Amino acid sequence: MRLTAVAAAATLLSSIGLYPLYDSAKWVVPGFGAVLAAAAAGLLARRFRLPVPVDIVAGLVTMLLYVTVVYTPAEALLGIIPTPASLNGLNELLDEGWQVANKYAAPVPLGPGVELMGTLGIGLVAVLVDFLVVRLRRAAAAGLPLLAMYSVPAAVREESVSWVAFLLGAVGFMGLLLADSSEQVNGWGRPVFTRRWSAAAPREQPGAAALAATGYRVGLTAVAIAVLLPTVIPGIHPRGMFGMGGAGRGGGSGSATVTTLDPLVSLKRELARQDDAVVLTYRTNATERPDYLRMYALDRFDGDRWTYTPLRNGVTNPIDGGALPAAAGLSFAPTQPVNTRIRIERRVRDMTFLPMPYPPVQIAVEGDWRVDPRSLMVYSLRDAAGGRTYSVDSLRVQPTQAQLATASDRAPADITVRYLDIPRQVPESVRRLAMDQTADAPSLYEKAVALQAWFTRSGEFTYDLSKQSPKHVSDLVDFLTRSKRGYCEQFAASMALLARTLGIPARVAMGYTAGTQATDGSWIVRSRDAHAWPELYFEGAGWVRFEPTPSGVVGQGTASVPPYSEPASASEAPAPGAEATPTPSESAGAAGASPGATPGARPDDPDLAGGAELPQESGGWWLSPAWIAVVALIVLIMMAPMTLATLNRRRRWRRAGYTLVLGHARPGEASERPPPGRDEPVPQQARDRANAAWTQLRTDAIDHRLPWRTNESPRATSRRLAEHLRLDAEAEGALGRIALAEERARYAPVPADVESLRADSRLVREAFARSVSWLTRWRARLVPPSALIGFRQAAGRALDAIELLVTRLSRPPRRRG
Amino acid sequence: MAVSTQGDIGRGLDGLAEVSGRIRGAIESVIEGKPDVVRLALTVLLAEGHLLIEDVPGVGKTMLAKALARSVDCSVRRVQFTPDLLPSDITGVSAYNQELREFEFKPGPVFANIVVGDEINRASPKTQSALLECMEERQVTVDGTTYVLERPFMVVATQNPVEMEGTYPLPEAQRDRFTARISMGYPDPGAELEMLDVHGQSSPLDRLVPVAYADDVRELIEVVRLVHVSSAVRQYAIDLVTATRNHPELRLGASPRATLHLVRAARAHAALNDRDYALPDDLQELAVPVLAHRLLPSSEAQLERRLPEQVVADIVERVPVPNPRHG
Repeated sequence: MRLTAVAAAATLLSSIGLYPLYDSAKWVVPGFGAVLAAAAAGLLARRFRLPVPVDIVAGLVTMLLYVTVVYTPAEALLGIIPTPASLNGLNELLDEGWQVANKYAAPVPLGPGVELMGTLGIGLVAVLVDFLVVRLRRAAAAGLPLLAMYSVPAAVREESVSWVAFLLGAVGFMGLLLADSSEQVNGWGRPVFTRRWSAAAPREQPGAAALAATGYRVGLTAVAIAVLLPTVIPGIHPRGMFGMGGAGRGGGSGSATVTTLDPLVSLKRELARQDDAVVLTYRTNATERPDYLRMYALDRFDGDRWTYTPLRNGVTNPIDGGALPAAAGLSFAPTQPVNTRIRIERRVRDMTFLPMPYPPVQIAVEGDWRVDPRSLMVYSLRDAAGGRTYSVDSLRVQPTQAQLATASDRAPADITVRYLDIPRQVPESVRRLAMDQTADAPSLYEKAVALQAWFTRSGEFTYDLSKQSPKHVSDLVDFLTRSKRGYCEQFAASMALLARTLGIPARVAMGYTAGTQATDGSWIVRSRDAHAWPELYFEGAGWVRFEPTPSGVVGQGTASVPPYSEPASASEAPAPGAEATPTPSESAGAAGASPGATPGARPDDPDLAGGAELPQESGGWWLSPAWIAVVALIVLIMMAPMTLATLNRRRRWRRAGYTLVLGHARPGEASERPPPGRDEPVPQQARDRANAAWTQLRTDAIDHRLPWRTNESPRATSRRLAEHLRLDAEAEGALGRIALAEERARYAPVPADVESLRADSRLVREAFARSVSWLTRWRARLVPPSALIGFRQAAGRALDAIELLVTRLSRPPRRRG
Repeated sequence: MAVSTQGDIGRGLDGLAEVSGRIRGAIESVIEGKPDVVRLALTVLLAEGHLLIEDVPGVGKTMLAKALARSVDCSVRRVQFTPDLLPSDITGVSAYNQELREFEFKPGPVFANIVVGDEINRASPKTQSALLECMEERQVTVDGTTYVLERPFMVVATQNPVEMEGTYPLPEAQRDRFTARISMGYPDPGAELEMLDVHGQSSPLDRLVPVAYADDVRELIEVVRLVHVSSAVRQYAIDLVTATRNHPELRLGASPRATLHLVRAARAHAALNDRDYALPDDLQELAVPVLAHRLLPSSEAQLERRLPEQVVADIVERVPVPNPRHG
């Protein structure tokens, strides 16, 4: 009976872990009902002593009756006996649930079909667990169905199950094991007492209680460690990163998002494709050349490569009615609505991010698509874009140079924190380079323009598709300073990085250029049009595209330079300088663009360098304060016994009338002489000193794992130690002096006053250290057992107290009969 | 070496070392290869005790007794115990003197400084018990008259193992009066070879001349009495003896007299080691010879062939040495 209850409780607790699968908690009631039904079935079957196979059949039948009662009572005979009609109803429900489950990623909307699936699953696990634990008495094996149930949400969801759910499940399973074991001990009938309970426990109480207390101790400690340990180990943090650098697939974290290929890798592959296949075609109502089609926004520079922050696959981000969140930072810049209807070629595989112009406002697409609210990337965990046609309403942002140049430097904090972050690996030379190239530009916008001009107009850089994709930050540095050859990836990555060092929020966007226009007015995008470009943030205009990659025949064929990113002077007049005659609308921008014209106009200009030094949160996990604290704590704990031992030693000598003498005094030196003028009679002091030396000797011997026998006199001890360790003459002499002093102090009428005892003691300790293995030596130094005895006693008392408490709390009600 | 406030014991120890060294040398010229036995015999002599030498025939028991007796210039009497020996043969008899017309006491062999009782367990218990009074009280009472024995007085008895033919086991009371029992053991091959060479020509005993006077021995005994026995050592002696009384393998434990003998022997042992204070080490070394012969093993121990010597050694292993400061 008790085991049945515990088994049911364990199943219930484990099933709580299913919560992330559903968008509501209504599944709990039928699920718990199923567990109760399974428990009742098990009880009944055992009541009538049915054979083992019947037991599990009875459980399954009960499950069928239960779901019939709950889901199809109308079709069933008497509301409970299944009829073909009711079975059919159940089947339809299951079908529906299966379709819903396939259609939606978790959390799925909880319809009756999905609920039936969950109930059936929980019920079957309950039947199995009950059967294994109570009938077969294999409590440990019952962990398998429980684990299977637990691992469903863990596998389906990107973010694992919360630790609370894990805790509940683990505690349930522990309880199961404990109940089973104590049941077995009771059946054995022989009390096993711990030392405390041998005296205190009432005799009729079987020893299982004490045993269980030990079990609780072990079990709770294990669960606590399992919960706490991952929080301090970065690698298995529950919110594990699956950045796209390196492995690309987030090894075994089971997240659906990870199936995305590394965008940068696929970029290179697409660019290098020989067949130059058509990827997509689209029609747009844009009047001018359409915008690029963006798929990814890579917002993180991890020190070597650009990646995107793991997408949070929460409940809130499915595309709801097609409306998308507002683009960040877009306020005063003039915009123009654009509609684009895009058809992805059927052959395109694994495209799980939709290419679309930025910023999208509304999207009409079939399937389970989600949007990342920060970057407005639209992606799917289960559907691919291949063969789909969708329509996107987007804005065409057309800021003027003046607007950009006067844009506030003060971006919102959530932007600066995320998009100005530069890892410490980025060398200082990069920052200097950025400063050098933009020294003449007064505003952030002009600095960005200067950077782009440096890449595209200075003639220093060459488009070269044969270069390897940059793997490390050193590759980028090499590109910037030496080779200056690369393709869009190097250009985009470098410009975004340089922009960040200048204090301009930046990210790398990836997708396709506008492509080429066909005769029928539609646009065709081929794999060669794959592209990467930097997006820079300006308050008011939001994220705007720059184009550092050379275009045309010598570069990315279909790349286009946005008009606002052209140097003002270059677009207006061939000769740079103050002689330019700006149009009235651009006067403000031109004035700002004139080098050194109005230095006071940008009072926060000097802050630029400082701006680049904004928070560097990715400075390595080992530098975080928590880790420093943990390490410090460990060091402290490790040093505590050593310190304690040293303090004990000092105190011992001081009590014996030796002053503290630092350094190595040799035997008989004057510094070892006790302070004169003590009123104590000499014999007593000599006795104390001998005692101190002897106690220290015993401590040292124990610390060095040398046997210490209580049946030996000092003389015999010293002889044995000297022989055992093959001490040299000096150490043996010192040991002999200590032993003799102690012997005389103990047994002779007048003790001997040996002055060199402290030095002798040190000599002997060193000799001990030399004579034992290095392991023992370091153990004696770092964790001297003599100092640990105190800890151990305290810990023993504490554990006893816990044991007492737990046993009192958990003492089962006294049985009758 | 010892720093002592008792100056006389310091000097006494020096004298003791010299005299005991001479005696030991003398005995060892006869008994070769047995320094431990010689040393123990000397210890018993200085502790004013009596020595029981137990071993199979022919290993030199009598030789040791005679050598010890002869190396000290004092009166030595030897009694060969036989089954028909009478008590009066030991203590002496009152004989009627025809001329003086009165009874005259003829002292027996017990009136000597060192009495060598050879094969003591061949005599009847009645005769053996004649030794009881003189050994403990150092006096002899014959026909109501008490005669005090000279000092030093030491009985060195030899006996064969009980299992040998024609032996009577010594009564417990008698055994308890012996301070120590030692067994000679066979000599090692080298010593035996040397013995053949030496004994081939003449008995070394004949060439043995006394190296100390009885007065010297008396003085040494006085020195030994001054040896300091700290309370911790005394406590240790009591602990050891008590352990024999509670030991499950022993039917009869050691008597309080055993404790006395143990401490006395420890004093002598310490003095022989040039120490003016006794150590637990002394007690540990002496525990087996001093205690083992007084103990009776329980029937279980007998079945398991556990000897009292082994039990005492066990006890020495187990009883912790008292440390006055740790209680």
